Amino acid sequence: MQTISNLYRKEKIYGWLFILPPVLGFLLFTLFPVAYSFYGSLTDWDGLGQMDFIGLSNFKELLTDELFHKAAFNTIFMMLGIPIGLILALLIALGLNRGIPGTTTFRVIYYVPVISSLAAISIMWSWAYNGDYGLVNQFLDIFGIDGPNWLMNKYSVKPALILMTVWKGLGYTMLLYLAALQSVPRSYYEAAELDGASGFKAFLHITWPMVKPVTFFIVVTNIIGGSQIFTEINIMTNTGGPEYSSASVVFYIWQKAFDNFQMGYASAMAVVLGIFIFIVTLIQFKMNEKSSYEA
Amino acid sequence: MLKKKGWFTLLSLVLVLSAVLAGCGGNNGGGEASGNGGKSGNSDKSGGTKELTFMYRGGTDEQKAYSAVVKKFEEDHPGVKVKIVVTAADQYATKLKAAITGNKVPDVFYFESGDTKAYVHNNILMDLTPYVENNPEINLDNMWKYGLDLYRYDGDMAGQGNLYGMPKDVGPFALGYNKTMFEKSGIPFPDPDKPYTWDEFIEVSKQLTKDTNGDGKIDQYATGFNVNWALQSMVWSNGADWIDETKKKVTIDDPKFAEALQYFADMQNVHKITPSAEDAQTLDTYQRWMKGELAFFPVGPWDMSTYETLPFEYDLMPYPAGSTGKSATWTGSLGIGVSAKTKHPEEAVALVNYLTASKEGMEMLVKAKVQIPNLIDMAEEWAADTSTKPANKKEFLDVVGEYGRVLPGHYTWTSEWYDLFFTDIQPVLDGKITAADYVKQEQPKMQKLLDKAIEAEEKAKAKK
Repeated sequence: MQTISNLYRKEKIYGWLFILPPVLGFLLFTLFPVAYSFYGSLTDWDGLGQMDFIGLSNFKELLTDELFHKAAFNTIFMMLGIPIGLILALLIALGLNRGIPGTTTFRVIYYVPVISSLAAISIMWSWAYNGDYGLVNQFLDIFGIDGPNWLMNKYSVKPALILMTVWKGLGYTMLLYLAALQSVPRSYYEAAELDGASGFKAFLHITWPMVKPVTFFIVVTNIIGGSQIFTEINIMTNTGGPEYSSASVVFYIWQKAFDNFQMGYASAMAVVLGIFIFIVTLIQFKMNEKSSYEA
Repeated sequence: MLKKKGWFTLLSLVLVLSAVLAGCGGNNGGGEASGNGGKSGNSDKSGGTKELTFMYRGGTDEQKAYSAVVKKFEEDHPGVKVKIVVTAADQYATKLKAAITGNKVPDVFYFESGDTKAYVHNNILMDLTPYVENNPEINLDNMWKYGLDLYRYDGDMAGQGNLYGMPKDVGPFALGYNKTMFEKSGIPFPDPDKPYTWDEFIEVSKQLTKDTNGDGKIDQYATGFNVNWALQSMVWSNGADWIDETKKKVTIDDPKFAEALQYFADMQNVHKITPSAEDAQTLDTYQRWMKGELAFFPVGPWDMSTYETLPFEYDLMPYPAGSTGKSATWTGSLGIGVSAKTKHPEEAVALVNYLTASKEGMEMLVKAKVQIPNLIDMAEEWAADTSTKPANKKEFLDVVGEYGRVLPGHYTWTSEWYDLFFTDIQPVLDGKITAADYVKQEQPKMQKLLDKAIEAEEKAKAKK
């Protein structure tokens, strides 16, 4: 009797020790920085010296900061790439799922951008977008279209960035969809066929609901990722674009924190961004709960 | 059996934990050293090698040149070891500020002249004055006053007082011209001593802008200035500036300022001597210049090694002058400073001097063609040699010694207000609004940011 209880107690300790590293890691590298940043947002910290508590004045200032509003608008605007990427990826996945010859080759081709370094891709695309010598305009030239200097024109810079992010993310989304499509039982389609359902109907009532969890996952992760877009912008338009037309919220945060000695103000923006992401994700979870099928 | 397994688990956990804790421990170590300015170095009597960390940035050519000089420094200073941390130019600021926040300031590091004030007030930069004045190895009189003044600060106004850094180099942004193109067009070379007036510049430019192969498309332009780097020359030589003497008021609404900006925009919209507005990005015009399609283009000392192989002859000339009749341009610089918390102040200063003020170090750097000499006598000798390109190297020295100025953001706590001017400028360059309207609408926005910078500066001073 005695030995078993001893063993039990020991096991408990081991159990705790096992989860200690991740918990400690979370406290140290996630919770502490978040809390610190939150505190920082209530101070006038310049990132170098002493922090003085100034209450909510950073947040008050955000309300009237034109550049912040511009950056927020740009960030949300560039999320237009999410539905576009979603639809394209699903179409490609549907195509590849039919077992046409060369499927593996296509999968690899679509997946190459995903595993490439974002910095390298950004540099490559900024060459492609170059007004004079860029590939994009040379291509348009074949059809007699005189393309703009993509990254230097305030109307074309955001679409240009969207195009690139869609291209970059396509392979990953496609692969997720492909996996989801392959797990849809064939018998459903056979039953639908017997009942005389058209291909489109079968898609609408079988495929789409069956891949819905994947769609949900992609939308959530893409919105979280899209809210934090930075690297592309920093490399391709390192001043935030003409009239700040491509600057994202994170880009503005970075400028304030590291160029302009306003760590406190930057923290305030980071807190706002964090709350925004939290709320949007929460809404999505609620919506998903409501409309999901009983398993 | 179970017992054995248990110990193994425990051991691995301990290992993981200690790795995590070691990560934090590093920070504490940095913190301890911070107590006591530069003085704590004396307690270090371990006798072993003294290790300095040197953090800098640069392209591959520069990295090669600088690591060679550092190696030579180690040879000349036995017992000192230099650990080099190097980053790409665009990541440097972030990395340095992360190091500062994490209390791990490198012993010796590059910094922007404009950040001097903030770093002095936050006790990040060591005062070099006691180490360099009266130091027999350093002759400050033989260095560019312009470069040194950038790193002086008296606690109130930049440009005077104690020395908190040494210029890594000075970067005069001179104007170059395509000699071969002038010859072909039968136009006399620009006078190296007398600048063009603005009207003369436009006139010559119009003669140089043409269609050389008869396909109906213009393929040779006079120039293609980037507004970020070339507008200063026009504004200053017209007697205007972004900011007033007290460095408290944005003065772009001065009519002379608007005139200069309009002149810049008109080069393209009215006189059509440059490629179209949207194409006026550095990358494009830089490539055009390298291909020999542009007559005038700015040249910095850092360009010299690349321009060796240009398919045409080039030389330097003074910038066209506005209503003051005098050329103007800016001179860049990057400072090398010493951490206020270094354990080895003597050695750190010795490294800075080796890189900036010593004959040995400077000779190696100049030979690598990454900069002009910091030492005046060496620079004059270097400029007198007209056998290497460009022949009129003296123009570089004239810029540093006479007509070069520092960018306006240098004097203020941050340069956010100044950056905004260029963020919003595109409509003027496109000819959609006039310069006069632009400066009127932009002045209050910039003033607001400048006021904020001044306020932040006063707060930082008050905290001390």
